[in-house]
Amino acid sequence: MTALRTLGRFGFFVATFASASLRHPLPVRASIIEAYRIGVRSLPILLVISIFVGTNLTLQGFAAFKPLGGQHLVGMFVALAGVREMAPIMVSAMVAAKAGTEMASQIAVMRIREQIDALEVMSIDPHWFLITPRFLGIFLVLPALTVLSIFTLMVSAWTVATLQLGLNGDEFLALARATTHPADFGYGMIKAACFAAIICLVSCFYGFYSEAGPDGVGRATNSAVVVSAVSCAVLNYLLSEVLFG
Amino acid sequence: MGYVASMTSLAGLGRFGLFSASVLWRVLTPPWEVHETARHTLNVAVRCFLPVMAIVFPLGMVMALQGLAIFDTFGAQRMLSSLVSVAVFRELSPVLASTLVAAQGGSSFAAELGAMRIREELDATEVMGLDPLRVHVVPRVLACVVATPMLNIAGSLSGIAGGMFTAVVLKGEPAGIYWANVWALTQPADLLGGVLKTLIFGAVIGVVASYHGYNASGGAAGVGQAVNDTVVIAATSFIVANYFLTTALFGVMG
Repeated sequence: MTALRTLGRFGFFVATFASASLRHPLPVRASIIEAYRIGVRSLPILLVISIFVGTNLTLQGFAAFKPLGGQHLVGMFVALAGVREMAPIMVSAMVAAKAGTEMASQIAVMRIREQIDALEVMSIDPHWFLITPRFLGIFLVLPALTVLSIFTLMVSAWTVATLQLGLNGDEFLALARATTHPADFGYGMIKAACFAAIICLVSCFYGFYSEAGPDGVGRATNSAVVVSAVSCAVLNYLLSEVLFG
Repeated sequence: MGYVASMTSLAGLGRFGLFSASVLWRVLTPPWEVHETARHTLNVAVRCFLPVMAIVFPLGMVMALQGLAIFDTFGAQRMLSSLVSVAVFRELSPVLASTLVAAQGGSSFAAELGAMRIREELDATEVMGLDPLRVHVVPRVLACVVATPMLNIAGSLSGIAGGMFTAVVLKGEPAGIYWANVWALTQPADLLGGVLKTLIFGAVIGVVASYHGYNASGGAAGVGQAVNDTVVIAATSFIVANYFLTTALFGVMG
């Protein structure tokens, strides 16, 4: 019952947000600032994650194909799994953990300090003022981060394949190139854009309806990251089925 | 700026090391808060169970979907469940289950301890002559260490089930072949390797979460910041540690 009520409130929240953003002018400047903030703040951590996702995919593909004598196919496995699945979902999970929790806690703090009520009193729509720039910012920046993550991941995968596993680097690259199409990058970016929307809306929702006090803020931040990660994973399957199935 | 930043982060690392050492000392020496530990373990296990299942299941489904695309080209669909089980037992389930425990359990521990710090409850504990690390921190760290491997096993099973759901129910592969090949490339040792990984990841979650909560400052915003740092730092350290653990435990070398 509570879950259903939360879902209903979430739907109402999204509708209010959508109508508020459409009724007001686009906050171009604020959105660019948010995009810069989210992109640059999350960049170092994303690069670290991408490097190790690449290395692990290589080890995993090697372990799976070696018993069949197909270890030279690792390049294909890494390219398919990395470009289509791992890069979008890992980037989104990290952005949910970093930028998403930040959004949730910032907005929750504004709520409990009654700054959101103050905005309303000044007749500024808080949905438009607080959420629209964050939404546009993350929506612009997440697909770009995904492409960056794909390249980082492939470089680290190639390094592990040649230096640790002793595979042929040229063959690795040739197979990787043969299995991925430029369209796959586009699909990865579409996925990332969908995840961006989910992360932003879920995190802002939990922040917006935070309960009072420090534990309220903690709880809002906590729910934001768990719910957005799980919804991204579920949505990922549906998107894979539609895009590649 | 670079120099100052690197010195502050070095000092932070040192403080973290000291904190971990003092927690480890209290884990090893009595008295232990057995009741509190059991309560927190049960709490983490129950609260993380659904999220862990809900994240590993769809990823098992995706593995099967993409695996079928690869194996179809070779006519080797029967190997699908082997690919899924290697990936799920060794990599996906340990990393994802731990990430979710960090996001759900670890961050709520950070929030609880942070709120106690802000409300000066930790100081009150100390004034009453109790050791706040022993009473509040050690049970939470132990709870993470115990609960994460259990959740990993549940996650592994749900990943295999997710793969089966896609392959058998949605794509019409024969169920018997799927089940027969689950253990073709994996041994129970792989499941054990995952448990070993998650024991380490669980300890990381517990210590990172308690450190950030215990040292929270600056009101409600500080608590939010502590929760944020816990999730990011814990998840990054698993993914980095995972590479070395996979190489060491499963001996993947050329």
